[in-house]
Amino acid sequence: MANSAQTQPGGAQPVGSCFPKLTFILDQGKQFGPRVGRLCLTRPSDTPSNHLIDIPTPNFLIGTSRGVIPHFSRDHVHSANGISWINVSFESFLEQTPPVPTYQAGSQPLHDFFGFDSSKHIVSLSLRDPLDAREMPPNGNSHVSASCMRGVRKVTPADWRSYVLTMQPDIAFALSDTPFTAVPHSQKRMTKSIERSAAWLADLLRPVEHTMDDSSTESTPTALNVFVHMAGGTSTSARRAFSHSFMETLHGLEADAVKPLLCLDEGVAGYAFDLAALHVRPAPSSTHNDKGGGIEIAESSLILQNSELLAQAPTPNAAHTPTSISSSMIEPISLLSLTPTLDELLRASLDPLPIAKPRLVTDVRSPHEILRLIKDVGVDVFDAGWAVKAADIGVALDLIFPVPCSHDSDPDHRKRDVGHNLYDAKYAYDFVRLSDAFLAGCDRTSSSKTPVCPCAACSPVAITSPIYHSKVDVQSHQAHLDEGTSREQFSPPFTRAYLHHLLHTHEMSAHTLLVAHNVAVLDALLTGVRTILSGHVDQHEVATIFAREVTRFEEVYDGDMSVFHTARENWKDVKYARGKGRLAREAQKGKEVR
Amino acid sequence: MQFEVIAKCHTTRARVCRMKLAHGVTMLPTFMPVATQAAIKGLTPQQVESLGITLILNNTYHLNLRPGIKVLDEAGGAHKFQGWNRNLLTDSGGFQLVSLSKFTKITEDGALFASPFNGEPTMLTPEQSISIQHSIGADIIMQLDDVVSSLTVGPRVGEAMHRSVRWLDRCIEQHEKSGRKDKQNLFAIVQGGLDPALRDLCLDAMIERKDQVTGYAIGGLSGGEEKDVFWKIIKQCADRLPSDRPRYSMGVGFAEDLLVCVALGVDMADCVFPTRTARFGVALTFKGPLNLKLGKHTKSMDPIDKSCPCPTCASGMSRAVLHHIVTIETAGAHALTIHNLVFQARVMGGARDAILEGRFPEYLRSFFFDYFGDTGYPEWCVNALRSVGVDLMQGVDVPLVKGSGVRWEYSDAA
Repeated sequence: MANSAQTQPGGAQPVGSCFPKLTFILDQGKQFGPRVGRLCLTRPSDTPSNHLIDIPTPNFLIGTSRGVIPHFSRDHVHSANGISWINVSFESFLEQTPPVPTYQAGSQPLHDFFGFDSSKHIVSLSLRDPLDAREMPPNGNSHVSASCMRGVRKVTPADWRSYVLTMQPDIAFALSDTPFTAVPHSQKRMTKSIERSAAWLADLLRPVEHTMDDSSTESTPTALNVFVHMAGGTSTSARRAFSHSFMETLHGLEADAVKPLLCLDEGVAGYAFDLAALHVRPAPSSTHNDKGGGIEIAESSLILQNSELLAQAPTPNAAHTPTSISSSMIEPISLLSLTPTLDELLRASLDPLPIAKPRLVTDVRSPHEILRLIKDVGVDVFDAGWAVKAADIGVALDLIFPVPCSHDSDPDHRKRDVGHNLYDAKYAYDFVRLSDAFLAGCDRTSSSKTPVCPCAACSPVAITSPIYHSKVDVQSHQAHLDEGTSREQFSPPFTRAYLHHLLHTHEMSAHTLLVAHNVAVLDALLTGVRTILSGHVDQHEVATIFAREVTRFEEVYDGDMSVFHTARENWKDVKYARGKGRLAREAQKGKEVR
Repeated sequence: MQFEVIAKCHTTRARVCRMKLAHGVTMLPTFMPVATQAAIKGLTPQQVESLGITLILNNTYHLNLRPGIKVLDEAGGAHKFQGWNRNLLTDSGGFQLVSLSKFTKITEDGALFASPFNGEPTMLTPEQSISIQHSIGADIIMQLDDVVSSLTVGPRVGEAMHRSVRWLDRCIEQHEKSGRKDKQNLFAIVQGGLDPALRDLCLDAMIERKDQVTGYAIGGLSGGEEKDVFWKIIKQCADRLPSDRPRYSMGVGFAEDLLVCVALGVDMADCVFPTRTARFGVALTFKGPLNLKLGKHTKSMDPIDKSCPCPTCASGMSRAVLHHIVTIETAGAHALTIHNLVFQARVMGGARDAILEGRFPEYLRSFFFDYFGDTGYPEWCVNALRSVGVDLMQGVDVPLVKGSGVRWEYSDAA
């Protein structure tokens, strides 16, 4: 099965040093603790588009599946205003040799191939899908095992370097030797992982060799914006060792290779933490392993709705907090005490490193986890995978941060769900917008304090300039505009009842609307975080206020995300019942339950 | 409904009409995309509207099962339920009873079928079909007809035709007393199988009821019959149907079929073909369908059609990207669905302009040359268009192809 992808990329040639400049400005914050900043991408001035993309942090990025944001057509990508950082995982393109995107011509091949807007979108490139923690064949001394539909491909650091230089991403993730083999990993394996990851980082930081006209060669720094995965697995000492290794001043051949960098960290633009690998834990208890993972996902990648891949369970014990009592009750106590918590692991990695570089976390699984990582560690960017997963399984997120006072009174002391499982029959007649916490665009009033959800589901924008297919078509649109009683900017929101119907009839439009909505809710969550953090000058005060708001959030919203579990079951029921005779099967099942 | 013929082709029977319904004006001839379960597959109503589409179809049979009439009533009708602010047409549910339900038995009272929920015998009468369609609230509703497969022969065909006429009367009565005639428009469906004599009888009876119906559909076709029979029945019906009523050809969606029907005098058509074929990875173009799953598209950096105004092509989405995602990512289906709907709209919009400008015969000739020039013209299209005075073969050297002549990209070799 394993094939080596050694060939050089095809059509377009690496252009070299026209990478945009990424800067991170930490406005406020310390080594560990909540912080606000700005991530600025400045494009070379000869590019046609807007030259500056400014992302206030904390913020989010959205991942792609086979190069596309799940369920979104290109017009939706462009109209979704919260999306400013998109990550492309390259591995699905290893099906072809050379990978097809490398044929894209032009100065911004990665943006152009995938149709992203270089004036609006930062596009990063990683080899592997950071949410994919399936078991894989081991990596080697000089290759990473990557997964594509035709099987496993070995990708060498040289391959990766050439793909990156060809595709010209705004940000590139260095290859990392993260073992996706059966846990636990030996100490020897962890040492190897650290050594290889550092060596592969160094390889990506090597200057680009230009062939000049007089056939002499000249090296210039790549100016690539490189993010590095923080290796070290679940061992705090391994993590510390890895971080130390690239703060060390380089000598001899190693120094020559990355000249003019004095140490590896000088070439690193940001630090990435892939939680997917950490969520796979040694399995002394069966409660952890009931998802199985691998097998189900493998077959699902071949079908149209690859939602299963995205429908993994959150891991409530990922960070230990006193408030999520129920989750820690279920977990074996020994596990919690033996394994360092997530924030301990992240802090171990960051401790030796400079503070003013952006920190990225992928595969967070709940808003609670996001808030805790901001509070306890100081993470700047999160991936939106969990919100997209929620959309896959029919959950419309309904949460807000900071929690308004009106959310206080809950008579039966039950925590609120973070969203609505729209498969639930109780929504069949629920003709209201998706979130209680947000208004629909058409309900906007100047007096209301409730924010508006700007997504395509809650604030659908009425069409003013459709495509005309003949010169008389103007009649149908003019007449419609005239009679629309001064048409509003926003059409009424899509309702829970409609989404409930679409989910039960397996209509794809449901997931499109839910992705749009959930990403907007995530955007609002992080906007809320930034508002709190930038609202106070005194750093200590900020941390205290923020911590109080996080505690309130945890008190109000169910951190076990139980609504995800039931939604996933309902989603499966619909999926497996599909086909002829389905209504009868479902009726029968309904009877059995009763 | 306000219906006005605003231009006629000087040669063929084609015409441009303005049809004003409760949810706006739709210019005819037009193609109606099918939103079976209250959604064009994968798209939002705003996207559909932005493509220049002003009339879509919902299926009564499906909406009656899910979400059910109670939900639609509470929602205030299907327009509000699905957020579609434009014109909507619903079929009567008769076709799905026959195509989807195993145990349907037609009695004079109605169609008796096994409930898909519990298998119990359930009756759908013409009155019920109309009242369900009243709950849905579509701008155009269809009579319940007795549908037989277009391949059926013998007395059953005549029986079904006569019953369809009797059921039309019951539908008319139900509709008349509903008080919804100002908002919803009832169409009759001409039946009679492939037998011209039966079709004539049906046309006689239904034209007699012209004052009670706002339009006519031609039913019982597109079920696998010979294409040469298909167009002759269409022509027979279109020729005789009153010119001040819209004519709707049910289940027609291939570009060549649409243009032949338009030339014969048809104003509207619907089919799941463009949206369904999109989900299978096929993009429709003026040079024939492109099967994007084929290996030959793997490295193509070209869009499907450089001149296409759809958001997929306008964004420069390459065939290579589409090849990578079609039939795997829902986004692949969305991209091709958007494109194919715009293709259908362009074919019909081009026909409207050509009719208005008095160059429809040239439009037909250039369309067929682009679409079939390299493989050959389907003989039935040539025959059909000759019957209305357009000779595709005039001045071109293109072979004739027997049979349906449908173009398809089967393999990399093609």
